[in-house]
Amino acid sequence: MRELPYLRGAVSALALSLAMASGAHAQADDGWDVSGFVENATFLRNHVGLTKARNTAQLEFTREFGAKGLFSSFSISGVLRGTYDAVYDLNENDFGKKAGGPVSLTGIGVPAGSLGPGSPAIPPHFTPFGQSIVTAGTPGLPPGNAFGFDTNANPNQGLVILGSAFHPQGTGVVLAVPVRPCNIDPRGCISGYLDFSLDELRFPEFNKRADFLRELYMDATIPVGGDGQELGIRLGRQQVVWGRTDLFRVLDIINPVDFSRNNIYDELEDIRIPRWALNTELRLGAQGPFSDLNFAFVWNFDHFRPNNLGQGGTPNSILDAGSFFRAMKLCWDLGCSVGNFAGGGVTTDFGPHQIGIRRANVPKWALNKTDVHLKMEGVVHDIGFSLNYGSFISQLPSLRGGIPAQNSFTGGPEQVWPYLIAFDIDFPRIHLYGGSADLYIDPVKTAVRLEAAYTTGEEFANTLQPRLFSKSDVLRYVIGLDRPTFIPFLNRRQAFLFSAQLFGQHILDHQLADTPGSLAGIPGFGKAGIPDWKDNWIATLLVRGQYHNGQLNPQVITAYDFRAQAAAIAPSLEWLINDHWKLNVGANFKVGTGARTFDDCRSCNPFPPFTATPLHANPFQPGSVGLSGFEPLGRFRQGPIGTAIAEDEIQMTLRYRF
Amino acid sequence: MKTRLKHAIMGAAALFMMGSAVRADVTDDSFYPYRNGVPTYPGLEAGMTIDASNVGKFTEILDPAIAQQIKDGWVTLKVGKTTSFNLHPNYVKATRQYSSKVSLGDKVGEINGYVAGRPFPQEPDLKDPRAGEKLAWNFKYGYNWGDNAAIKPFYWRYRKLKTGKIERTIKFDFHFLNLMHRVNQEPLPEYPNNPDGIFRAIYVQVLEPFDLKNTQLLIYRYADDLKRDNAWLYLGFQRRVRRLASGQVTDAFLGSDLMIEDFEGYNGRISDMKWTYKGTKYILLPFYDHDKVPLTDEYHEKDGYKFVDLHGKGNCFLNVTWQLRKVYVVESEPVDKNHPISKRIHYMDAQTFTLPRTIIYDRKGELWKSWSIGQARPDTHNGNPLNPTSGVSIDDGFAMIDLQAGHCTTGQFRGQVDSKLNPKQLFTVQHMRAVGK
Repeated sequence: MRELPYLRGAVSALALSLAMASGAHAQADDGWDVSGFVENATFLRNHVGLTKARNTAQLEFTREFGAKGLFSSFSISGVLRGTYDAVYDLNENDFGKKAGGPVSLTGIGVPAGSLGPGSPAIPPHFTPFGQSIVTAGTPGLPPGNAFGFDTNANPNQGLVILGSAFHPQGTGVVLAVPVRPCNIDPRGCISGYLDFSLDELRFPEFNKRADFLRELYMDATIPVGGDGQELGIRLGRQQVVWGRTDLFRVLDIINPVDFSRNNIYDELEDIRIPRWALNTELRLGAQGPFSDLNFAFVWNFDHFRPNNLGQGGTPNSILDAGSFFRAMKLCWDLGCSVGNFAGGGVTTDFGPHQIGIRRANVPKWALNKTDVHLKMEGVVHDIGFSLNYGSFISQLPSLRGGIPAQNSFTGGPEQVWPYLIAFDIDFPRIHLYGGSADLYIDPVKTAVRLEAAYTTGEEFANTLQPRLFSKSDVLRYVIGLDRPTFIPFLNRRQAFLFSAQLFGQHILDHQLADTPGSLAGIPGFGKAGIPDWKDNWIATLLVRGQYHNGQLNPQVITAYDFRAQAAAIAPSLEWLINDHWKLNVGANFKVGTGARTFDDCRSCNPFPPFTATPLHANPFQPGSVGLSGFEPLGRFRQGPIGTAIAEDEIQMTLRYRF
Repeated sequence: MKTRLKHAIMGAAALFMMGSAVRADVTDDSFYPYRNGVPTYPGLEAGMTIDASNVGKFTEILDPAIAQQIKDGWVTLKVGKTTSFNLHPNYVKATRQYSSKVSLGDKVGEINGYVAGRPFPQEPDLKDPRAGEKLAWNFKYGYNWGDNAAIKPFYWRYRKLKTGKIERTIKFDFHFLNLMHRVNQEPLPEYPNNPDGIFRAIYVQVLEPFDLKNTQLLIYRYADDLKRDNAWLYLGFQRRVRRLASGQVTDAFLGSDLMIEDFEGYNGRISDMKWTYKGTKYILLPFYDHDKVPLTDEYHEKDGYKFVDLHGKGNCFLNVTWQLRKVYVVESEPVDKNHPISKRIHYMDAQTFTLPRTIIYDRKGELWKSWSIGQARPDTHNGNPLNPTSGVSIDDGFAMIDLQAGHCTTGQFRGQVDSKLNPKQLFTVQHMRAVGK
């Protein structure tokens, strides 16, 4: 565990509280309540093989100390979890020491003159990483250019083509990404962010942040009124669960999540990353028109943790973003080959510090880098409701351009080049204003869940902006419907639960504009701006049945991304063998229209006049003319389902509880 | 009524007639039906066992489901002496004070003038088309668990009827709190700050097994019976509260053979059912003294409390004594035609207005489930030091047999009528979130 002053303070408070309480309530102390489980999860992926051989042991413990002094109740609780995912040893050709290999990148070729006056036509080609057509010494490049890189430091090994699992190289940007664990191949690993070693991947909880200690907190309750009102205090490492919807995190945003465990498909309970926090609740009970009224304040004083998006080269990388980041970090650090770049169709070797991701500016601890959340929650006229506010550091990364970089054509000192695909990863502060409600509508026998949040401060990739990002307010909302329904011909005795949800996202300051290329209708050109859809919806439907008194529970979860036109279908069968053993056999299939393209900023003319295209009004006109490809921004149009379209799996989980 | 039964209850009937002739107080008749004598039946003696060999002699004093089960050799019944289960004097006092002012409203589910106590202590009349409804009100506003109580702990077991194989064991805590119509504990007669008019709140927490641990259920039932119950479920594996649709109240609860609506015999609104009084009978019911029946060592309680035992086919029957008691036979038929059952036949104990025996029929009208709730006399119940003076007929064990599936769920209680275990703040949605780990 990293020693931090605030953490020491929290632990001291915890210890003091424990000391106060433990002397107090010997007769009410029933000792430690300990339980847990061991589990094996084995997943097999089509065309890959083993993607998960995860062995987990979890121990949960709690001790109620009862009432004493100031506290009407006091308890200590904790969860320890350790995981060994053997996939990195059993399938090291895909995810371990031997993952990846040499790659070659496509150039679709260009007509004569495309690379400057008098340049020859270049036919389609396929060049190994580090041996692009455009590189140091290529005839026609300006003297002093900085193309090319050291292939001894950056060899053609341990690589895969970015996005190759879900699209061909195509006519757009092609990048290579190192895929071995960062202690085996440190290329592309971003210090402090997605830089896991083999052991950290195999044993993900045993890291610098002591994630094996998933939770450790004290609960105390202080009476504050004569009618049962109380102040609840939970202090320690914890999950704070707000909101009413499944799968979607509209208000449930206090803890970051670990998508590397199983993309979006694991229970949030298992993938929230607990943080050290103070969680206080003033529970007023019935007040005025409210049959229950509460106010909550959460101070998340832990060191910042972003979501774990899954490192490039690991089985689960949501949106394949971790791979994209690693490919771009490689470009910045050591240079890289890029397919279809120069002239839009020639492989190009960029030198270091020209394009890519320079670093991740992970916020260091400071008081103004902590998170604060407020909530008013209750029940009024049979409607459960909450009003929420949060001020927090974004758990998702923002790629901000406008960093100093070297001009590939001229070399020389680094300086800022508008529209250059050279970024830092930053984590902006977000303000969230939201609310939720649940109610029951008797005529349709349906429980309804509503959740909405309006955020300010979020940042999106935007190829219309010189720094290639822009801020936008965002509205997100979910409506969920739960209805148990008898289907007599399938089960006369027990109902099926139908649970449907519709998640919507509206980007208020969305920008998407035609480019000279799209206006001209040139194939391969498209609009520029924010690749995320201005409005998009994802619908989910869960159908769950129960047979043999809940011992056999078949279910199907489906999710459909309307704009991406991609669906995930996850049937499973849970067998509760007895009170200790549970077997779950399932599958996860995706169907859809495949990869999407978007303006990739090859035609952004960041190094004028060298990078200008015939569609630019003059050689020094900045900005994109719309040349598009699958990478890197098509993933934002495909969404998490579409990006994982090749990840069809069969899955088996066996758990022993004690 | 057949001749034998006429003879059987002749003595008791004569006493009742005497009582009727001089009846000055219907309340006494309602609360102390055995004060002038207990019912008898030819050949029936305390201490005897009814089994397949002699059940034919006693079918008139058995409900048809249990009679058939004895005949089939699934279970034997030990007969106990009929004893009076006296409810708390304050509840009786409230009945005397307020019942004369109570009347039914125009619609099923409407009641006028009710404050506390038993709303309709009068004997039901078969000629009264709303007699069943009045009995249902007596159940709803009965002293079942008093002003509040806890079942802590409460073991449920899912069993195969044929083999007795235990498939699951679930350990619960159940808590009950009446926020209105209280007769015994402050605040009286109701809690202040009850804007929605919650009559009763039920809070349930699962302690074991691990996969269900921390599952919690909260039900609000309102004084306005036409208002739909509200129910919320906290799912431990999601750490989230879900509002329940009414369909979940009539679905198998946590995979058991019970639906939430089955709790306590019937756990729903008066207005959800059409109630029909079918007559008064004297039948055997599982009423007993907890300390005089076989107890099990299966579960360990620090203070040595032991739970009732089970026996019979698949261990799906309470191993307790049954006593001959006055019951009102009441049929409840769901108003909602999509309800999974077609009707319940309740054998409502006339003294306590508990529902110790209920027979449940499926939508086709075929016998589906046989539902027993064992009632322990409070005077000798050691589940809590306050139990003996609680004046509550203590639910002590249950057995729900799904006769079609060949399966049962059994329950073994530690009933505790102790207000300290049921603070008001336990019964809020927020409490579920607060204790959720």
